[in-house]
Amino acid sequence: MLYALSVAVALALSSVIVEATGGDWWPVVEALVDGSIKAPGRWGETLGVAAPLLLVALGTVISAKAGLINIGQEGQLLVGAAVAVYFSFLIGGPGPLNVVVLLLFGALGGAVWASLAGLLRFWRGVPEVLSTLLLVFVATQAVGYGLKWQWLLLADEASRGNRNLVSEQLATDNRIPRPDVFGNEFPVTAYVALALALAVAYVLARTVWGFRLRMLGHNPRAAQRSGVSSTTYGATALAIGGAFAGLAGAAMLAGGGFSFGNYRLVPGFSDNIGWTGLLVALMARERALPAVVAAFVFAGLRTGAGFVNSTGVESRITDVVQGLLVLALLVPPAVIFLRDRRRARAAATERV
Amino acid sequence: MIDATTQLAGAGGSGPSVPVVELIGITKRFGGIVACDQVDLTLYRSRIHGILGENGAGKSTLMKVLIGLVLPDAGSIRIDGRPCTIHDPLAAAELGIAMVHQHFSLVDQLTVWENVALGEAGRLKSAGVRDRVAAISRQYGLEVDPDAQVGSLTAGLRQRVEIIKCLRRDPHILVFDEPTSVLTPEESEQLFDTLREVVAAEERAVVLVSHKLDEVLHATDEITIMRQGRIVDRRPTQEADVRSLARAMVGREVSLRSERAAFGLAEIEEADREPDGGGEDRQSAETTKSDEPALRIEGVMVKGRGGARLLDDISLDLGAGEIVGVAGVEGNGQRTLGDLLSSLVPLDAGRVVVNGEGVSTGSPGAMAKAGVAVIPEDRHDSGVVLDMTVAENLLMVDPHRAARHGVMDKRTVTGIAQQMIDEFDIGCSGPDAPLWSLSGGNQQRVVLARELAAEPDVLVAAQPTRGLDVGAIEYMTDRLRQTAIGGVAVLLISSELEEILELADRIVVMSRGRVVGELSRAEATLETLGLLMGGSAA
Repeated sequence: MLYALSVAVALALSSVIVEATGGDWWPVVEALVDGSIKAPGRWGETLGVAAPLLLVALGTVISAKAGLINIGQEGQLLVGAAVAVYFSFLIGGPGPLNVVVLLLFGALGGAVWASLAGLLRFWRGVPEVLSTLLLVFVATQAVGYGLKWQWLLLADEASRGNRNLVSEQLATDNRIPRPDVFGNEFPVTAYVALALALAVAYVLARTVWGFRLRMLGHNPRAAQRSGVSSTTYGATALAIGGAFAGLAGAAMLAGGGFSFGNYRLVPGFSDNIGWTGLLVALMARERALPAVVAAFVFAGLRTGAGFVNSTGVESRITDVVQGLLVLALLVPPAVIFLRDRRRARAAATERV
Repeated sequence: MIDATTQLAGAGGSGPSVPVVELIGITKRFGGIVACDQVDLTLYRSRIHGILGENGAGKSTLMKVLIGLVLPDAGSIRIDGRPCTIHDPLAAAELGIAMVHQHFSLVDQLTVWENVALGEAGRLKSAGVRDRVAAISRQYGLEVDPDAQVGSLTAGLRQRVEIIKCLRRDPHILVFDEPTSVLTPEESEQLFDTLREVVAAEERAVVLVSHKLDEVLHATDEITIMRQGRIVDRRPTQEADVRSLARAMVGREVSLRSERAAFGLAEIEEADREPDGGGEDRQSAETTKSDEPALRIEGVMVKGRGGARLLDDISLDLGAGEIVGVAGVEGNGQRTLGDLLSSLVPLDAGRVVVNGEGVSTGSPGAMAKAGVAVIPEDRHDSGVVLDMTVAENLLMVDPHRAARHGVMDKRTVTGIAQQMIDEFDIGCSGPDAPLWSLSGGNQQRVVLARELAAEPDVLVAAQPTRGLDVGAIEYMTDRLRQTAIGGVAVLLISSELEEILELADRIVVMSRGRVVGELSRAEATLETLGLLMGGSAA
């Protein structure tokens, strides 16, 4: 209800802006719908984008449950992809097995990168909000550096042609399969992401580990007293958050599809999937299952936007439209959050 | 704003017979609960009006209506005879209504004068505010250093700051919500003197919200008693006595023994403190005591930030079945002692031994594992997780009880929780109710239930009855006594001397992080304890 209202307002505002700048509003809407789900093959494309978004969001959910604010997914994702591609070529091996190796090293890379922030947090008390964010920029530079040297990530001359700064392309049998479903193609990682969403929801709600993690997030002192070590649990949660982002990076690399570098690591490879995944978690209010829906919605916005650019409306205006829609999706969770908190507070003070 | 209030004060100042505030038919519902049901209240100039009631009786809600924190569902408000609606605290301030809150709303990091100036509009003139603070301090005998950092002040001083903050706005209606819950007896005494002065000399109207009978009897002119959102009685204070007030407030007879502690009655007759029925049981428990103390604290020192010694060379032995009371003015290390036994702070020197085994203090859950259960001083701080369910709170320390292979079984969780809810009579809508939906007394029962379920060897109870109503205090006191009879060593940290005198076998007094005296129950009187607490006979 709140969402419908909020999106309606955003659409109305957008229409005014588009019309005022001399564009046509209705084709923009059609393009959004066409591009995200309606046109042939498009919902598969959208799913392909939704999968890494969901993975990133799941990692964010886990960190957030421990009371930690990890906002460095963009960097963790990039490092994950870089580590994945490096080890994939280093180890080699037969196709399907190599895909598994690739994904595992992706997760490992992301986990290590996030753990740097964890180390700073629990050893030196550096706030993880800052360290995770700043490590994004370090990651971009580090991967850029790696792409300059052949012994690291750069492809050999034969395969890179006249391009600089690209990694070797993954061989056909080292890619994640993209079976055709009703005329739509998407990598099987979409199923994996969905399964992981269920798993995360289950672990958080039902296991002792998840219980204690939530306790830590809600009240660190009560948790400490009850035997939950903020260091162990917090560092683990951050590492897992990074692992999910890294996994997303590896899955993007090997999954192909819309604008993900065509099975090669390139500069700017992460393409804002990390940031957007953060928004997905925000819209889902840090819950695993709603994140599935949120990931699809954000992915749809992205794939739909590709079509909007072809309507002739100026791209800056379509950017504004997209921004408004993102905002529309994020306002209701914020409103709900504030309302809940006010209610809880009123109840708490009322009953003291 | 100040102009407006003085005008108002001037306009209505025509003697005590004219009502300053009339609340008529105020009704407020929270969900299905009726917090206030058609409540009428009239306040007069130069009068102190006591509002007495248990927790959840609706007195706080009523006051929140008056200061604009809560909008009533029905009813009307008249100030100085004029009908008005109070949408927010700002509007209330403009009408000259101010409240001193039960929980302090001060910023620890700021100094006293900065806190007083907080919320003022316009430019901040430090000299002006400082002078004003000093002037108010002098005028009302509320001595406090304007430049002290609020975080370093004791509870009593903080409250003074709150009151000064209030008075600075020169309100003509002052509301005090449970003002003495954090004060020592002397501090309370002082507070009431101040109130008298404010009322007599300056014709202000004062509301005193409380659940302590003696307080209301001593300090007020008129008493309104609330129960379950309704007004059950109203009478001039001269015509009231402890017994009738208690009956009206609780709606039933309260057992004589707990009554004393519950109502914080200062006059405890010596004869009353003779060991009674419970004492004999305890004697038999004492004979089964082993030589090894259940809890031994040896030369413990804990330093705070900046190197101040929060606990300084504390040594204490606690035997099984024994209740040892830790008395002292608040802010003299009691909180740190509680934190230490909650594995929340590491030691700088000394050691803590439970049942003959040293405990690594400060490592997560170490104390709980060693068999030390804690009812913390501030349950919201380390006792409960408000955003989790009752069941989850009950299983916080030992979730494995309800788990197999690390997975918690929903049915077992609910079963265990329901059993504890029944046994401890926790008032809630069920195991899945969020903890914040419970009243303070019931939240405290959740803590008690969980801590006792762990079958501890040592139970630390820090201010266990603070902010609880009569029934809850009675319950808590009985439980503590029974726990000790069951062979558990109980450390009772309390600033309510009556509570300590009623329960403890032995009493230690803390001052400035040190133990300054130890008394047996027979030696201890309010006077001797008071002297030690004040540091007069160390």
